[in-house]
Amino acid sequence: MTGAQLAVQGLYKRYGEVQALAPTDLDVAQGEFFALIGPSGSGKSTLLGSIAGFVAPSGGRILVDGADVVSVPPYRRNIGMVFQNYALFPHMSVFDNIAFPLRMRKAASAEIGARVERMLAMVRLQGMGARRSSQLSGGQQQRVALARAAVYDPALLLMDEPLGALDKNLREEMQDEIKQFHRQIGATVLYVTHDQDEAARLSDRIAILDHGRVVQVGAPRELYEKPCNAFVASFLGEANLFAIQGAAPAIRGTALEIGGGIRLSTTRRWPDTANGAAVMACVRPEAIRLTEGTAAAGDNGLEGVIEDVVYSAGLLRYRVRVNDSCQITVRHHPGPAMRTAAIGERVALSWRADDTLLIPKE
Amino acid sequence: MGAVGLGRAVQTRSFAPGGTTASRPWSTTGFYAWLLAVPTGFLVLFFVWPLLRVIWRSFTDPGLGIENYATVFGDGPYLIVLWNTIETAATVTFICLLIAYPVAYVMARARGTALQVMAALVLIPLWTSVVIRSYAWMVVFQRRGVLNDLLLASGLVDTPVRFLPGSFGVHVGMVHIMLPFMILPLLSSMRSIDMTLLRAASVLGASPANAFMKVFLPLSLPGVNAGVALVFMTSLGFYVTPALLGGPRHMTAAVLIEQQANTYLNWGLAAALATTLLVITLAIYLVYLRLTGGAADAALAR
Amino acid sequence: MTPQGEFLSRLMRVALPGFAVLALAYLILPSLIIVPMSFSNQLYLTFPPPGWSLQWYGAMQQDLSWPQAAVNSFLVGVPTALLSVALGTLAALAVVRGRLRFAAAASAFLVAPMLLPHVIIAIGLYPVMLDLGLLRGYLGIVIGHTVVAMPLVFITVSAALRNYSESLELAAMTCGAGPWSAFRHITFPMIRMGVVVGGLLAFATSFDELMLSLFLTGPGTRTLPRLIWEQMNAYLTPTIAAVATLILAFSLLLLALVALLQRGRAAEGQAS
Repeated sequence: MTGAQLAVQGLYKRYGEVQALAPTDLDVAQGEFFALIGPSGSGKSTLLGSIAGFVAPSGGRILVDGADVVSVPPYRRNIGMVFQNYALFPHMSVFDNIAFPLRMRKAASAEIGARVERMLAMVRLQGMGARRSSQLSGGQQQRVALARAAVYDPALLLMDEPLGALDKNLREEMQDEIKQFHRQIGATVLYVTHDQDEAARLSDRIAILDHGRVVQVGAPRELYEKPCNAFVASFLGEANLFAIQGAAPAIRGTALEIGGGIRLSTTRRWPDTANGAAVMACVRPEAIRLTEGTAAAGDNGLEGVIEDVVYSAGLLRYRVRVNDSCQITVRHHPGPAMRTAAIGERVALSWRADDTLLIPKE
Repeated sequence: MGAVGLGRAVQTRSFAPGGTTASRPWSTTGFYAWLLAVPTGFLVLFFVWPLLRVIWRSFTDPGLGIENYATVFGDGPYLIVLWNTIETAATVTFICLLIAYPVAYVMARARGTALQVMAALVLIPLWTSVVIRSYAWMVVFQRRGVLNDLLLASGLVDTPVRFLPGSFGVHVGMVHIMLPFMILPLLSSMRSIDMTLLRAASVLGASPANAFMKVFLPLSLPGVNAGVALVFMTSLGFYVTPALLGGPRHMTAAVLIEQQANTYLNWGLAAALATTLLVITLAIYLVYLRLTGGAADAALAR
Repeated sequence: MTPQGEFLSRLMRVALPGFAVLALAYLILPSLIIVPMSFSNQLYLTFPPPGWSLQWYGAMQQDLSWPQAAVNSFLVGVPTALLSVALGTLAALAVVRGRLRFAAAASAFLVAPMLLPHVIIAIGLYPVMLDLGLLRGYLGIVIGHTVVAMPLVFITVSAALRNYSESLELAAMTCGAGPWSAFRHITFPMIRMGVVVGGLLAFATSFDELMLSLFLTGPGTRTLPRLIWEQMNAYLTPTIAAVATLILAFSLLLLALVALLQRGRAAEGQAS
């Protein structure tokens, strides 16, 4: 079974003076797992709500397999939706919850029984049909919500921060389940989350929103390695960002002034920016090498003092102070033989010129 | 896993393919607006329209002009009655607040059987007819009533005290009737106060008195506002108790209006009095709404 | 704590509950006086009655106007409750779920009839009912009572609606339930308690309402409060106490019913 193709054209939403969503275009392929991420107030929930039918957009089109559904009420759009608070019907059993969409579509009881049992098996809740939702744990409730959303084979499955209410370990377990679930049912999934890690783990492509606008769309790796501006760079993972002083260099490979007498070298091209917008240098923490002692010769050599050390689940993160206005985050997975540098220790940092990205500030 | 099945079949039936013209987005607003129109229409017909007619009548019966208001606000007993009404309502509200606050406080901290018993003691009078309760006070206050019997028996007085008709009886009776209306909003708002806040206050060094004054009291204010507004507004318009226990010298507005309309058939004057009472009550209501800011129904829910 | 603080807090621990007990006694006693009085063997109102007799219950039965008034109170109260429930529920749905811009103003408007003096509404409705030809009939007084009782249903149903998240109805919609289906299968089961309690409150309001009944009912449609009132002003015999006792018993039954329903609901919530 293949999912629907979703296209959003010029969709926008205004509440009085405030524009919750700027005119937006999106194309989601059949069966794709597509994530919408962004900070709160970025418009991702507005966008999802419009596609679901709860939010009446101020203008634009929503095309599902080519048909504009903007004027179609949610109960005829044939979508499935999973909510952050699960929204399970408390007065119904698990079975009745999952059967509800089938009953609404007047399916025969034999078929209802078969389908519900199949879904229960798929979310590994066999035999729990008679229970009430209050008797289930958070993770189990979310699985029931998934089952209910998908039981009637919707072409489009919407998920609004479904794992937001779960604790970390459970969340990761559920992420794997959702991914597997998606492969099994084959619907097109639109997934809203503020957790960029989660989005990267689950989705084929991601759209990042900020202040009501889609800033960039692409596969997780593409967004990480080629962020289109400083916002995207710092939203996905960590980034060391430096404001570049002075005008654009005439040729490539020229050293960039970032203040404090520090010069960085890059092999990247100066980006095309709208009339002289500021450009920043961006270096990912894992691209930086940390060594004892003084700066080595070569590209991008800096010295600094370690200010903070954090070790978490195999990942070591240092915050190094180079000067009053410059601090750099370095990250790596230490091998078992490597020692942890101490706070206050003088260290040398270096990275390849190729790893200095040049991106517009906005 | 079932491939085509239900989803697809219904989908192709539901909406026409193509759709090149922009269509109006589906929204619930129209539906709910219509839903609201029914009860609103009912109230407009049978609540707003009658009120408007009363106001109209006050200016047109017996003749066009403001004579009725001249009568009300001129020399004569009417202004005194209005003033008495406001003063009684205010006093009753104040006394109710003084009594209800400690009671609600105790109830808010009670649990189990104690709470159930107390709740019953508050709810039973509430569900007992106002007429019956006022009647009971009559029995208590009459010349050969309970109170006089007690006073005579204990030797505090030599002859029966004349409580009825009188303003003392009215006040006692009205406080009794209104007390549940003050207790319940207070109780509801007190129970929603997070007790950990008080614990936090004491950890931060506040004495119990301070914790009460600076934390509990301000947090209980929404309940106080609701109770005060409810009791004051209801007291302004109250009929039964003042009529039964007050007598002609301690009339309140509702008694006067009913008398003017039914006994003296002076509908114009009754309308003017009613309009004046309406304006006063509405003013209180608007002040209350301004204070609560949000949905009136949520504020009054008990 | 300082010694004064200790003393004060111990005082409060005793004085407060003591005060509460006194206040609650003040609340309940008058209602209780009626009952023994109705069994008095005297011809006039006394308390405590010197002797016991059922004469007043007998007198009440013989006076035909009492049963008639009781029937009228039901003939008015039940339709009032039903109409109030219908209108109040519609209003609550629209205000709480409708996301309407003027929801707060609508809420204030819908609650107002309960708060404004009944006498004003009464003298306003009198000419209106006269014009409509509904004066002294059942429909007129049912409408009048609904005006002042509907806000109660509005409040209780609104509270029930606010008690759970709107996402339940949204979920129902994504499952394919249209507005009526969503109401029938999801909304109504969730608010059922609020509707029933609101209906009972509306009934109780109508059952006890005097002012509108004075203006809008006639001798044939006279309700109990009106009859009590007329009798009370005419002759103060303990017959009224007998009537009052019966009404009190009935009111307590209603109250017990509401309490049972609410406890049943709570127990249901705990058991699952």
